[in-house]
Amino acid sequence: MTGEKSVIVTRKLTKVYKGNTKAVDGIDFEVKAGEIFAFLGPNGAGKTTTIKMLNTLLPITSGKAMVAGFDVARHPAEVRKRIGYSAQDVGVDEHATGRENLTLYGHFYRLDNATIKRRVKNILEIVGLTEYGNKMVSTYSGGMRKRLDLAMGLIHRPQILFLDEPTTGLDPQTRAHIWEYIQKLVQKLGMTIFLTTHYMEEADKLAGRIAIIDLGKIITMGTSDELKRSIGGDVVSISPAGDDPEACKELVKRAEEVLTGKPFVIGTKPADGDLAVYVKDGGSAAPGIMQVLDAQGIAVRTMSISRPSLDDVFLKYTGRTIRAQEGTRTTFAQMHRMSNRRRVR
Amino acid sequence: MNALKDTWYISLRDIRTRLRMPVFLFMSMAQPILFLLLFPEIFKSVGSAMFAGGTSYLQFFTPAVLVMTGLFSAVFSGMGTIMDIDTGILSRMSATPVTRVSIILGRVIATVVVLLVQAAIILIIGVIMGVDIATGAGGALLALLLIALLGLGISAFSNGVALLVKRQETLMATTNLLTLPLMFLSTMMMPEELLPGWLQTVTNFNPVDYTIVGVRSLFLEGYNWSDLWPSFAVLGGIAVVMVIFATMMVRRRVE
Repeated sequence: MTGEKSVIVTRKLTKVYKGNTKAVDGIDFEVKAGEIFAFLGPNGAGKTTTIKMLNTLLPITSGKAMVAGFDVARHPAEVRKRIGYSAQDVGVDEHATGRENLTLYGHFYRLDNATIKRRVKNILEIVGLTEYGNKMVSTYSGGMRKRLDLAMGLIHRPQILFLDEPTTGLDPQTRAHIWEYIQKLVQKLGMTIFLTTHYMEEADKLAGRIAIIDLGKIITMGTSDELKRSIGGDVVSISPAGDDPEACKELVKRAEEVLTGKPFVIGTKPADGDLAVYVKDGGSAAPGIMQVLDAQGIAVRTMSISRPSLDDVFLKYTGRTIRAQEGTRTTFAQMHRMSNRRRVR
Repeated sequence: MNALKDTWYISLRDIRTRLRMPVFLFMSMAQPILFLLLFPEIFKSVGSAMFAGGTSYLQFFTPAVLVMTGLFSAVFSGMGTIMDIDTGILSRMSATPVTRVSIILGRVIATVVVLLVQAAIILIIGVIMGVDIATGAGGALLALLLIALLGLGISAFSNGVALLVKRQETLMATTNLLTLPLMFLSTMMMPEELLPGWLQTVTNFNPVDYTIVGVRSLFLEGYNWSDLWPSFAVLGGIAVVMVIFATMMVRRRVE
């Protein structure tokens, strides 16, 4: 099952919600068998909508999606047999034990009793819940619930596992744990994983290839290294010393003007009162930048040099940072999501 | 085959969940029990004036309380579906090959099993209080079957509405709006002859009344098929229509 075979293929995949909100806007991508592929983008970018079209939960408005060799719109039943799904909200039954939860899904996937018993034991081991298998889920911690949730999508050894924001709402330590389990799953079961996330570290750590998505469109796609290399060197972040946000913005604008065109500057991008300056080599460019700004009388409060992160990649292509948008920007797609948002305990 | 198996496993899960929250099982029984204890006392003198041949009000009223038990229990069936929507269980279930009709049938059958047990408990209380059933144990079983059919229709309706409105409060409001008229626009408390003419007409369109008429006929008269057939036909028909409606809602459900 590994090699060049594509297990997910989309062509101009589009979702328009009622009221003409284009949540997903004609995206094309392919995921190869055995790959971990991540959709990275801010909330409301269209990640969950995409996952729900691929796993048959949402009808496609236009375009086409093939999953595990079947057209999602025409053969949803065939697709469902071959995929596992773990949503952002943990879909586990509180009033049942871990084992009961897993067994029920074994039946849904038409496994016989002996197989279910064997797989449940095995999968509980993989996610480290063997001791808790017979305990009620209502006694589980958040991390344990998420692990059970992952296990429930795996009982039938799916060809493709869809993970929608697998670690959102978990504390950093639990998040690192879940990453370990996901990596273990790939090692042990060798499946294809399609995941969405708005954590750069998560995409960086888990995914072979990453598609950066914003406002329903794929902005760029590649391995983490390829994406970072597209920036072309280091990132020098400058915060000018302005009295208020307006003054800062003004200074950033002026700084951008004077730096643009200088031989050691590849490009610039302002964001939230900071200026990102892309340079070939941060160490040798920093003094030059300081000099130029000094000469213009632009005082600098802080300056930092870093290797490019995926956030810099996002910034380069969209002019915004993923982090800054958390909780600040509300798109229509996001509002739609929120209005339909399930109220979780 | 798959549909049957799925239905079986989904009902088992639902019944298991209900057994783990026994408070709710008793809560929906509280009102019928109260009615059963109070009404025959309140209407004692009316009863002896109302019925010739020594039928007590208790005798007359108990069938209605049984039906009410079924109705109250069934109407809240959709709450389980709302819980499954809220927790994401329904989404996750929908992404598996599970047969769509089973998602409804499983829950509806579980509801009916539970309400039959509740009705049986009420019936036992009634018998202890002195109710006597003209058709004996066989008739009692047939009466429970009628109540089961009503429960099937009402609980499927409740689940269909739940999938439509997706909110607990809205479901409660809708079902409350429906339950009371269904109960009071019937022969629950008064025999048909004593109801005003317009109300007699209304009862002909009330599935709850068909159930009460059928059960009461088994309790008071014997196997009176001219009363029983219409009840079975109407309740069976409604059950089928409501299950189809609710299944369509599952299929249609988009988040």
